[in-house]
Amino acid sequence: MSDALNRRGFLGLAGALGVAALTGCGSGQSSGAQPSAGGRLRAVYAGGGAKEVLDPHVQSLFVDLARHKAMYEKLVELGPDLKPVPRLAEKWDHDGKALVWRFTLRDATFHDGRKLTAEDVLYSLARVADPKVPERVAQSSLAALDLRRSKAVDPRTVELVLAAPNAEFPALLAGIGTQIVRDGFTDPTKPIGTGPFKFVSFEAGRSMVAARFDDYWEGAAKLEELHLLSADAEARANAVQGGQAEYANDMTATFARTAEAGKSVRIVAAKASTMQAFVMKVDQAPFDNPDVRLAFKLLADRQRLVDVVLAGRGAVGNDLFGKGYQYYPEGLPQRERDVEEAKRLLKKAGLVNKEIEIFTADASAGFVESATLFAEQVAEAGVKLKVTTGSAQTYSKDLLTKGVIGNHRSGAMPIPQYLTDRLLSKSPFNVTHWRKPEFDAAFAAAQVQTDEAARAAKYGELQKTIRDDGGIIAWGLPDYLVAVSAKVQGVEAAPPNTLDFGRFDKVWLA
Amino acid sequence: MRSYAAGRAALAVVQLAVLSVLVFALTSLLPGDAADLRFTETLSPEQVERLREQLGLDQPAAERFGHWFGQVLTGDLGTSLISGGPVVDIVRDSVGATLVLTIATLAIVVPLAVALGILMGTRENGRLDRTITSITLALSAIPDFVIAVVLVAVFSLKLGWLPATWIGGDLLTSPVLLVLPVAVLLGRTVCLLSRQVRAGTINTLNADYITQARRLGVPRRRLLFRHVLPNAAVPGVQELARTGDTLLGGVLVVEAIFAIPGFATALVDAVETRDLPVVQALTLVLAVAALLLNLLADLTCNRLVPRSALLK
Amino acid sequence: MSGRKEDALSSPQPTPRGPLVRVFAVLRRIPVAVSVVLVGVPLLVAVLGPLVPHDVKPGMPYAADGVLGTDGLGRDVFGLLLVGGRTALGMAFGAVVLAYLVGGVIGLVAASTRHRWLDELLIRPLDVLLPLPSLLVISVVAVGWRASALAITVAVAMVNVPTVARLVRAAALDAASSPVVEALRMQRESWVTIQLGYVGRAVLGPVAADIGTRITLAVFLVASVNFLGLGLSPTAPDWAVSISRNREGLLLQPWSVLAPALLLVAFTLGFNLLADRLVHRTRRPAEVTA
Repeated sequence: MSDALNRRGFLGLAGALGVAALTGCGSGQSSGAQPSAGGRLRAVYAGGGAKEVLDPHVQSLFVDLARHKAMYEKLVELGPDLKPVPRLAEKWDHDGKALVWRFTLRDATFHDGRKLTAEDVLYSLARVADPKVPERVAQSSLAALDLRRSKAVDPRTVELVLAAPNAEFPALLAGIGTQIVRDGFTDPTKPIGTGPFKFVSFEAGRSMVAARFDDYWEGAAKLEELHLLSADAEARANAVQGGQAEYANDMTATFARTAEAGKSVRIVAAKASTMQAFVMKVDQAPFDNPDVRLAFKLLADRQRLVDVVLAGRGAVGNDLFGKGYQYYPEGLPQRERDVEEAKRLLKKAGLVNKEIEIFTADASAGFVESATLFAEQVAEAGVKLKVTTGSAQTYSKDLLTKGVIGNHRSGAMPIPQYLTDRLLSKSPFNVTHWRKPEFDAAFAAAQVQTDEAARAAKYGELQKTIRDDGGIIAWGLPDYLVAVSAKVQGVEAAPPNTLDFGRFDKVWLA
Repeated sequence: MRSYAAGRAALAVVQLAVLSVLVFALTSLLPGDAADLRFTETLSPEQVERLREQLGLDQPAAERFGHWFGQVLTGDLGTSLISGGPVVDIVRDSVGATLVLTIATLAIVVPLAVALGILMGTRENGRLDRTITSITLALSAIPDFVIAVVLVAVFSLKLGWLPATWIGGDLLTSPVLLVLPVAVLLGRTVCLLSRQVRAGTINTLNADYITQARRLGVPRRRLLFRHVLPNAAVPGVQELARTGDTLLGGVLVVEAIFAIPGFATALVDAVETRDLPVVQALTLVLAVAALLLNLLADLTCNRLVPRSALLK
Repeated sequence: MSGRKEDALSSPQPTPRGPLVRVFAVLRRIPVAVSVVLVGVPLLVAVLGPLVPHDVKPGMPYAADGVLGTDGLGRDVFGLLLVGGRTALGMAFGAVVLAYLVGGVIGLVAASTRHRWLDELLIRPLDVLLPLPSLLVISVVAVGWRASALAITVAVAMVNVPTVARLVRAAALDAASSPVVEALRMQRESWVTIQLGYVGRAVLGPVAADIGTRITLAVFLVASVNFLGLGLSPTAPDWAVSISRNREGLLLQPWSVLAPALLLVAFTLGFNLLADRLVHRTRRPAEVTA
């Protein structure tokens, strides 16, 4: 925690150097430049049309997250290794059993001039939990919070009580849809938060305009005005290259290659910070057979998938989520391709010369491409993988029930959250159908463990089980690419969903 | 004339009613509904189920259609299943951009095509005619998206002269945003239209009364503007009304490439997100526009050529 | 003015007015040969391409390997061209054939029937369907039956059915009211003989001219659908899909976009030129008004 605070301590220069080191190109960044105030920055994100929302508790798209991040804040944020770091809560501790938590609030001011109090926090969490509004995204992750027993100790201290102990509670408060709003906030179209920018205007699917908030607790932003725009990948590329935007989120590797040939646009890459995988349903033939699952893991030519689908912008995966994040088990050997061994396993399972369908869709960059390529790689072992394309819009839901093997992409999140959302019997997004009571029990036991090292050891064991026996073929860890125009300074390479990702209060225009 | 108008109006009402049933049936055939579309990895299945109830999507299709139809009769287009906002807003916002684009295109297309058409028609099979015909033939053979990709690559990415996207720009302050989209839409429309005008010109020039007038010594200029132009425009105007539907496809391509938040994009988006009220409203608007356009075309033709038996 | 005959044959070397004019003048002078080549090359590629054995080891994305380099998936562009025409042209041809099978039959029956109610029954629904935007039909089909070549073909065909039916009906009525038919009727020829022997043949002219433009339009429509990502799978080798998917790599490996684009344009250009000549030969009867 203090480590994170220190890191924030000397921003400016250090931040700029950090980018250069992380991107590995170290070009274009005039690290000697002094931050200057003023100006307007236009940032473009993938849009969601009418789906875009202003309500900070209903967000689901990157552009929503960016919007809310500019205006609102959470109690806790995530550091570059996805470890909780203080935000509106400057510190916290618990009763020793991780059941009752106390958060000390920072001296922060809302856009209407009122100070942040414990009541605001309680109101916000109650608003998230409101069962009448099923779309409040953090509802299930914060289900363990017992609001009736939680209380304001004093205006700057809030006591939150859980129904069951959970050592990962601070991380849950850093999840999406957990922003702190003002007590009595009912109209999402008039946002009032504590964030570095004040709301000016919003048009769903097109743009939001925000202005600098001078009383921001961490020091007013450099930029005077922030425009957050929505557009598809091609328009984002054209906009940032044509000077119609200064920041473009989530760019393709091909764009990065084109852009790096020129001088007007710089690529800021958060190395290997997301995950691309194939997911096999472990309760359905043929993948209910562990041998077949292992065979498919052995058949993936990861390097080739990374070279082609990610155009080299990423690292090979090791069938696990979260490399480089807190709790990622150390010392695991890299899974290598072994066609002969795979053939032997498939023969044993009687799968040679059989046909299996891989269910994919153009829902995310590289899905259909990687499925097509993987089909060729599987064919080398004598199994035909037939590529079936589904609807892009409903793919994530369809995948829960359709197809025995499909595509999966995950953004950055803490490893325990990944396990909770995807690998427990009751997980809402358990695409591999990994439902093992003993796994659930072991996970629950790890979560109540208050000693961090002991907890990490337990998580490590669970992850090894998933890697060896589970249905995830994590073949690649794509870099997360952001394009900024040459005059933009102070953009840090950070995994999406972390504190420094898409943060504009430290950015300035040279 | 009056009975003609009444008949036409009656047909239009029937058309619109049948259309909405058809659109509803068509979109209901699609797998999944708006609640599924709002599914995200963080929403639990129970949350989605509650959402479906709130949106009324658990009701039988006939009931939902009845409800919607009743609303429309009172002038209310309903609320979007995706944004939760009024459908009218979505329609208004999306129609605006497309209307600007279309009007800007037509403002160039019509005079240009008429001028080219008459130029060609009056020099039938001359060198100029054959050259322009060849050029228009060749141009109309290039798909919109190929033109768009090439224009963007050359003028935006290579030369950096023109913006390739409407993102981050404002039409009021930078009308230059219109240049590339209009250029793309221009090509085929001018070609189609000018060829129609050319044919009309040739037909009129060969008509007996023109030959007669020429023999009587009516000045050439007067002949062209008073007689040939109106007659030659008839097939053009009709073609324009008739190809409106085809052009919408081109508009979609242009909207997609230049990130224009327009009508065609909104329609496809609404279909993709199963936002039925929005699909219905947009289709209705489009159908009404098409009907009016066709009516307008017929009336214009009737005015231009009063003798014609177009309105039987 | 129309009396001024072009001296194409008498003067072997017309004075060129500029490079562009000269190009088009040449284009115009030998249109048949040019258009046959223009149509023929893409058509041959589409028909015979898939039969050509072409096995190239996949390389890196947008690399310069092979004749025309590689595409975004590291596949050989030339190899893709060979197999990508089947859908690009085949779907369009299929749609036009289907549109004529359905619309043509409706039009002919409506025109030749002696029962007015049958005519009304066949044609009125088309009137009602007319304002249904083809964009809606296609996007619904595209969303509902993702990546199905057959579904897109049927959708494009359906969009064309009303106009085809009207055109055929108008042409048949035109022919049926001609003095020849009157004469045949007076000679007490059978209905079948008149319909098949005369009207059917008379319809062929305008139909041929229409098919010419309709195929180009269908190629456009199918290509646009595929370009917009509403049609075939994004990894399909189809020419339009290739243009769409590789356009972000246009500056890295231009041929991945330009080669399929050139084939598509060559086909539609050649077809336009051929259709243009056809129209000039068989003057279309009065345009059918909607």
